[in-house]
This record gives sequence, structure tokens and C-alpha cells, in this order.
Amino acid sequence: MLKLNKRQFLQGGLAAAAFGGALPMPVRAAGRNILVLASTVDIPNFDPHTATGYAPQWLFRNTYDPLVRVVGTPPTPTPGLAKSWAQSEDGLTYTFELDPAAKFHDGTPVTARDVAYSFARLLRLKQGPAWMLSGILDEESVAADGEGTVVMTLRKPFAPLLSVLPWMFVVNAAEVEANLGSDDGQSYLMSNIAGSGAFKMGRVLPGDRYELMRVEDDWHQGGNLDAAIWKIVRESSTARLMLGRGEIHIALDMFAEDMEAIKDTPNVVRIMEPDYRSFTIKMNTAHGPLMDKNLRKAVSYAYNYQAMLESSGPAELMHGPLPQGMFGHAGDLPVYRQDLDKAKEYLAQSAYPEGGLTLSMHHASGYENQRRWALIMLESLKPLNIEVDIRAMVWPDVVAMVKSPETTTDFFSIFQSPNYGDPDNTAFAAYHSSRNGQWQNPTYANPEVDAVIEAARSEVDPEARKALYRSFQELVIDDAPDVFGVMELRKFAMRDNVEGYEFCPVSANTMEIWPLSLG
Amino acid sequence: MLFYFIRRVAMLVPMLLGLSLLLFVVARLLPGDPVGLAAGPNATPELIERLRAEFGLDQSLPMQYWTYLTGLVQGDWGQSVFTRRPVFEDLMTYLPATLELVIAALVIAIVLGIPLGLLTAVYRNGVLDYVTRTVALGGIAMPRFFLGLLLQLGFAAWLGWLPLAGRFPLIGFPPEHVTGFYTVDAVLSGDWEGLRLALAHLAMPAFAMSLSPLATIMRMMRASTIEVLQQDYVLTERALGLSSRLILFKYVLKNAMTSTLTIIGLYVSWLLGGTVLVETVFDWPGLGLYATQAILTQDFMPVIGVTMVIAMIYLVTMLLVDLLYGVFNPKVRYS
Repeated sequence: MLKLNKRQFLQGGLAAAAFGGALPMPVRAAGRNILVLASTVDIPNFDPHTATGYAPQWLFRNTYDPLVRVVGTPPTPTPGLAKSWAQSEDGLTYTFELDPAAKFHDGTPVTARDVAYSFARLLRLKQGPAWMLSGILDEESVAADGEGTVVMTLRKPFAPLLSVLPWMFVVNAAEVEANLGSDDGQSYLMSNIAGSGAFKMGRVLPGDRYELMRVEDDWHQGGNLDAAIWKIVRESSTARLMLGRGEIHIALDMFAEDMEAIKDTPNVVRIMEPDYRSFTIKMNTAHGPLMDKNLRKAVSYAYNYQAMLESSGPAELMHGPLPQGMFGHAGDLPVYRQDLDKAKEYLAQSAYPEGGLTLSMHHASGYENQRRWALIMLESLKPLNIEVDIRAMVWPDVVAMVKSPETTTDFFSIFQSPNYGDPDNTAFAAYHSSRNGQWQNPTYANPEVDAVIEAARSEVDPEARKALYRSFQELVIDDAPDVFGVMELRKFAMRDNVEGYEFCPVSANTMEIWPLSLG
Repeated sequence: MLFYFIRRVAMLVPMLLGLSLLLFVVARLLPGDPVGLAAGPNATPELIERLRAEFGLDQSLPMQYWTYLTGLVQGDWGQSVFTRRPVFEDLMTYLPATLELVIAALVIAIVLGIPLGLLTAVYRNGVLDYVTRTVALGGIAMPRFFLGLLLQLGFAAWLGWLPLAGRFPLIGFPPEHVTGFYTVDAVLSGDWEGLRLALAHLAMPAFAMSLSPLATIMRMMRASTIEVLQQDYVLTERALGLSSRLILFKYVLKNAMTSTLTIIGLYVSWLLGGTVLVETVFDWPGLGLYATQAILTQDFMPVIGVTMVIAMIYLVTMLLVDLLYGVFNPKVRYS
């Protein structure tokens, strides 16, 4: 005889009588494979040539196609719209052969003209991911050679080309031209999809959810998903509960505390993998006391890296300016670790031998780990008789602040997530002087470093590139523009019935879902 | 009364104008660069300037305000810098969700608070009085988001009676849009399953929102009723042999309601302005979340739009409250 205790009775009988239909979704989704992802981030813009941010990037990877995709660890270029490609010896010309099976959502085939149109539009608008190709391609650089061949002529060699192509999505030229308006189709593509991806847009409720429907007769091979929902869940405790109840399959924005809380949740798998996202404390090298290189070195030696690591959750300390695991990373170079004798030695050589100054430090408001790392800076600099004025700031104020060295704080806390798996991304965005005034590199400028970065991005021989990145790292470490901090593990969680997932350290939270299946 | 009504409505215009000016100037004077932020981390200065011109931010402040004001009366409340969606359209999307939540919370607070206030006044210092006093103290003291989390743990995670979050099941079609209130739309379209689902989703956030006003209304009603019960005319009515029930519901209730009515009116704006935490915990896609997102990114126009809407609702509510005074207290004269 079936026996129920009071709790089971309440859970079963009364629930069914009261609100049974409102209960966990998998019951209601029987017969259809609908993947639900929970994220804190909205998707404000559907235009792959103007939008930025990880949530739009996720949308584009699943509703549009690039010529080349990126998968696996280490990130490897694999066929997208292009089934094969060839590179000229001088590294200036790339030829792509399109997959004849590729077709847009309206059933028309993807042609070389669509590819050329998309690149021209991207470079014309100069928004979204266009910066990755700045100075490399212009509006005329990509041309169609017949229906199925694309020829890309670079203005100068660009070694990471295949690494940036996964973020250049191809639109249906005919559809965009039919809805061009006065803004090059921006108004249209802001809320419409004109792609060839595995999914098309379903219902949209801004700020709440975005539903993707599998395209009928989808040309992509893989996965059994019929649909997917990008559900915005702002409170991580809610996301944890939803994951435990099976109401969502993947929770993307998890903190270390969340991962600890769900470690024993049945049917939930935790993903904690190293990726290229790094945290550094940048120093204002263009204004104020930290223009003094000796003072920067004193700070670099005074900082308590071990305390930083211990307060970070699952993470590892950075070893120089490039993320570990990335091509060209020189793990054998000496880096700064806490050594108060050396710190005092460099302080004595600086313009502030007795200390006695106060340095300002920003951290992102509401980000607990950044606050902790700022407090560690406060403690670390006390032996040098240096005070730290810690300021929590919201992001818009930060963006405004870094426009000028005069308004930028002495220390500036920042996470950097490379968009492509090549050292050029970190090196160029975070250390090239052309990026001054941007949050990735507010103030640091060194002509010698600029020259090495430019040489490395144009070098096509891997060994020569590696040597250039080694000298880049030597120069930057010697300049000490940053306190090289930690690389937190990428953290998210999924139900154990999600099959076919393969981690990729590049933009790990913008995963392609079409190869996934629900078991 | 009609003249009073017209005069009060006419007074709303300069008040809203003043408010819009104040909001506009304050929003523009705040430090920050929403356009730079919206343009992305790698936007060129030229692109940022182009976007600034596109949103009219390169014009003088008076000219920007004039453009905003003329647009306002034509139903153009500006555009979000981030999403480029029209603010008015967004408000019409999110406002019904918030209003439904606020109205449900108020209904719970009024339906439970007034009778409980009356009862505890009549049976003061009894068991019910002590119990409700304890609950009231807890209701006022406990933060809404914390109560929301407790409710989620109890009724969703542990008992499994109610859905955890959201306004409707993720995989399911809400009732056909008429008013944007899912419960009302379900009734209008005869979708009883939809109504049940909408109510199930509404239950926890509405209760979490209602506890504080419920407690206040209950305590206010109790105090007012005790005060009225001690009036000479009540003694006279008792001496005349009128039944306690008649005295309580016909004479005492009306007089005790006046101050409670003011509290209810004030709670409308309090609830409207304070939904954000409950909306965050329950993923309720309403105005609070919309406003928070806009504030964090300093997206001026949505912030101004939300504030204007809340101000309008507050002013209209207070006008209704003033008019209702006359219904409950015939001594009130509108002149």
C-alpha cells in the first residue's frame, strides 16, 4: 500500500489540486525538446553588425552563421558557412568556398554576394565587432567570385583573421535591402532576424524572455532541440532553485557562492573551466603619482597576491599580461609576487621614497570580489605608508571617467573577456595606445609596445609571432602598468540531460546551442 | 464637486510640467556617458558623436527639453539609448504587469486589513489582537525581497505548490492581449486555465508586496476604530438601543475609513515605486525592473518616462482619495 508522509501528501495531492498546471515546465514540455537558459542579461538589439555584449552574441551564434566557427579547447577554427578555405603565402588573400547546403530562413541559398554585402555593411557602420577588422579590411575587401566563392583581400597581413571571423555574421542581403530604410537596415535588423542560423526568432518579451524556434529543414547537422528560451533571471538564488527543479537547463551567470550552493543538487552538473577572462588592476600611467614607474613596481611587489587568490573562489593567478593557455603566453617569465623588501627598494627609488600619499581606486559597484581585491590593495600598501581611497562606481560613471587621464582614478579594476582566442585581442585592446580613453586601456601608452603589437598581428609565421609576443610580455611586465590579478574559472551549471556540450574558452557563455540535445 | 474636480485636474498640468523639467535637467546633469556605454567598448569617438547627434544630445539643453515636451504631448516619450525602442511602447508593455501586481497586493491588503482592523478594535487585547499585532510588526519590519525568498523556499522549493517565478509558465501562451493584465485578459477571453496559471504566478509576489500595507492598514484601521468607538455619538447610539453590528458598519466604519483611505492612497505610489525588489526576486517583467536597468545604464528617457508615469498615477490616486473623503464623510465639502 502506498504510504505518504505529511510532506509528500502536501507536495503531491494539494499541489495537483491547486496549481498543478503551473508546476515545473518539463512536464508541460513533454514531447518537445525545449532548452531553457537563464541569464541576467537582456538582448536589446538583434543586429549582428551593430550590437555588442554577450547576450546578443549568443543570439547571433544561433540565428546567424559566420564563415568560420570556433569550437573546443584550445579554440579551433572550424567550418561555418565556408566548408573550406585557403590562404595565400603572403597572408594577404583568403579564399572561402561556401557550403552549398547553407540557406537562409526564407529558404534562399547563402551566396558569396551575401557574404560580401555583410562585410561591407559591417565595415560601413563601424559598430559592433567592426573594430576587430579595423585597418585590416575595408568595404571593398571582400568580393564574390561566382555564387560560392568569397575572396578576402587584406590591406596588411593579419594573423588572427580566422579567430575573428566567428564574430562576423552573414545577413540575407536581399531581405536587408528590401527593408533598408534610411539607416542601412538598422531599424529593421534591430528587431528582425535575417540569417541562416539553426533558429529563428519566436516570441519576444523584452527584459523577460526571447524564444528561438528551430528552422524547419535546418541545414545544420546536429542536436535535437526544437526550440530554446533565453530567460532573464536576475536573482541567482532564483536561478539556482529553477535549475534544481528542472525549470531551466542552463544557468549562465553563476558566482562562486552559487556553485558551492548547488554542488549537491541532484541532476545538476557544474561547469568550472579556465577561460581567457582575466582581472587586472590597471594603474594611471598618464596622470598622478603612478606615472612613476618605480612607484608602480613598488605597488606590484607590495600587493598580496595570495590573499587575492584565496578570496577569489575557483581561480588562478595571472602570469603576466596574457591569459594562461593562450598562444604565445610566456609562462617562464618572472612576474611580480609579494615581496615587501623589493617593494620598499623601488619605493625608495621613486619620487615618493617615504610614501605619505593617497591613491584613489575604483571598483565595480556591487561586485563583491572586486571590493575584496580593493581592500587587499588597501592593506598591502600600508607598509609603504600609502593610503588608498576606494570608490565603488556604477558602469556608466566608469566609462565616462576613463575618457581622460585627469578624471581616471589611480587604480582602475577591470575584467577583460577576449572576443577571440588570439593574443592580439588582449594585447591590442588592453595595451595599445590607440585604445587610450577606453575602459580596456584608459591610459597606458608605450611606443615600443605599440610597435611590437603591430608587428605581431601582421606576422604570419607562428614562431616569429611567438617571439614577438614574448618581447611584448617582457616589455609590459617591466613597465608594470597593471597589477596582474586573477583568472577566475568560468562558472555555470546545467542539467545532466543536456548532451553534446563542449567547453570553449572563447566567449564560453555565448555557446552555440544547435549541436546540443536534451536526453 | 464638479468644479473642484476640474480645478484639481487643471492643477495636474503645471505639476507634471514642473516635474518633467526637474527630471529632465537632473537626468542630463548627472555624470556619466550613456551613449558611450551604448556604443560599446570599442566604439570610435566619431561613432559616439554620430550617435549623440542621432539622439539629439548635441543640442542645447533648452532645445532638448522643448523637443521632449512637444513629443510628449504627441505620445512620443523619447527613445532608449540602449534598445532604441520607443519609451512609450516599453511603458505600455511593462506597466500592466506592475499594475496587476500592485493592485493584487492592494486588494489583499485591503480585503484582509480592514476587517482585521475592525475586529481587533472591537476585541482589543484579545487573542486575535495579539496575533495580528505580532504579524503586523513582522510585516512592517521584514524586507519584501526577503519575504519573497522565504515564500519561494516554502511554497515553491519545499511544498511545490506554486511556481517559482515569472508571470506565466515559460512554455505556454498567456491569454490574448486586451488589457495586459493576464488575469483580466483570461477572464475576458474565457481562458480559465490561463486564469488559474496567472493567479498561481501572481500569488507569491502579490502576497510579498501586500504584507507591509496590510499591516499598516490593519493597525491604522484598529486605531481609528477605537477612537471612533469612544465618541459621544456612538455612546448615544448604543443608549438608543441600536445593534452593535449596525453601529459598527453604518456609523463607525465610515468615520474610521477616512484616515485609512489616506494611507491606502499613499501606498499606491509606495508600492509602484518599490516593486523592483519583488520583481527581481520573482522575475516579474514589470516597470521596476525596467526602471532599474535604465537607471544603472543612465538611460535618461526611460527613467524620466517611468517617473512621469508613477507621478501621474500617484496624482490621480490622490485626487480619487480626496473625492472619496466626501463619500465616507459627508461633512467634507468641495469648494
